Amino acid sequence: MSHLKKTAYEAAASDTDFRKTWDRSEYEAKAKKEQDERREEGRARYEAKLEGKKWHKPVDFSTLDATSSRAGRVDVASMVGKSTLIPAGSAIGKRGRGAGFYCEACDLTYKDNVQYIEHLNSKQHLFNTGQSGEVARATLQDVRNRLEMLKQRKREREEEDKRMGEIDLDARLKKTEDIEEREREERRRKRNEKRRKGGQNGIKTEDSGWEGRLGIIS
Amino acid sequence: MTHRADASSALDNRGYAGPLIRGANPITLIETAVRDRITESLYWKEQCFGLNAATLLDRAVDLSYIGGTYGVGMRPTPFLCLAFKLLTLTPEKEIVLEYLNMGGEEWKYLRALAAFYVRLTFEPVDIYTTLEPFLTDARKLRRRRKEGYVLMHMDEFIDELLTKDRSCATSLWKLPGRQQLEDLDMLEERVSPLQAELDELDEMEQDQDGDPRNGSESGASPLVRSSSSEG
Ligand SMILES: [Zn+2]
Repeated sequence: MSHLKKTAYEAAASDTDFRKTWDRSEYEAKAKKEQDERREEGRARYEAKLEGKKWHKPVDFSTLDATSSRAGRVDVASMVGKSTLIPAGSAIGKRGRGAGFYCEACDLTYKDNVQYIEHLNSKQHLFNTGQSGEVARATLQDVRNRLEMLKQRKREREEEDKRMGEIDLDARLKKTEDIEEREREERRRKRNEKRRKGGQNGIKTEDSGWEGRLGIIS
Repeated sequence: MTHRADASSALDNRGYAGPLIRGANPITLIETAVRDRITESLYWKEQCFGLNAATLLDRAVDLSYIGGTYGVGMRPTPFLCLAFKLLTLTPEKEIVLEYLNMGGEEWKYLRALAAFYVRLTFEPVDIYTTLEPFLTDARKLRRRRKEGYVLMHMDEFIDELLTKDRSCATSLWKLPGRQQLEDLDMLEERVSPLQAELDELDEMEQDQDGDPRNGSESGASPLVRSSSSEG
């Protein structure tokens, strides 16, 4: 077939791994199919227009994944950072990347987080991201498993908090010890200072304090 | 089996084909005005989308107060939004009991949520037999009011569900009185686990001030009623 009599172009192409070498018949069949689909779509759109309706490309439900719950909050904060001033009169769901909340999958920009979330929930967005919008119903076993998972997560967090608390307590104890140690050190220093003073004179002075006298005695 | 992530089929009242509770779409158990506030709220749009009875637990374990609506704008609490989501999901009875018992032991707000759902959706006899055991649950609950929060206890909340006609921005459908169901032999007389203690207390009081109070009073009310329920 085509790959047997290599042209200069094909030889060059085969050197680069990222280029797929098409089987011509496969390629032609694919092109024919796409052309048929386009033609069919054009006819359907034309017929819909005659009836005064808007035509939508049918969705192949078999290829869609079930929709699931959000893993967390929609991260609005990180998007706000990217957005700049919103131009006056910006329409809802503006085509293309603009100032505001941008949906990559649909190439639409929304001016506030509520509109953006509404878009994320919309049929249009779900289909564009390969989701059916249908959620699998939970069984009793699903609920039990979920409770177990959440319980385990809670325990782990409690453990972690406890550990952090202990570290915190250790740190506080250590700090208190340090302070006490420093204070003891300071008292010792003062005592020695006094003693040295007393020792220097060698004479017991009348008005020397209690500590001074102690220094001399010792 | 599946359901719509945005609960659209449950919310569409005219074309509704899902399970009925007391002959109607369960969402109608919440008043229309409150329903609209729920479905317009950010919590509903962001946090309730795509939940099923298992993933709803992720949200329920994060609840930190009960309540209906709050603030001047009468915003719905996450508690009420999740209760409403449950009404669109109509989980099987065993699942609700799992929420109440296994889940409720660990997370008090999950128990409160399930109890509220039980009061709205179960049959009268089941409501009493399912909820009464929790009249001994003395754990504290925070409740969000129009302004600020108040502190209450689980047993008070359960008592409210069994005896009042409104709770959490929702008018509770008329539940036949306990006595009525007892008279129809549908319910056994309830002996409060606290009854022995109450009797003892009565005896002690009688011994102390020598006041021979009518002994029938202690056994008259099978439910431990909150002080505000009468008067
Ligand atoms: Zn999108």
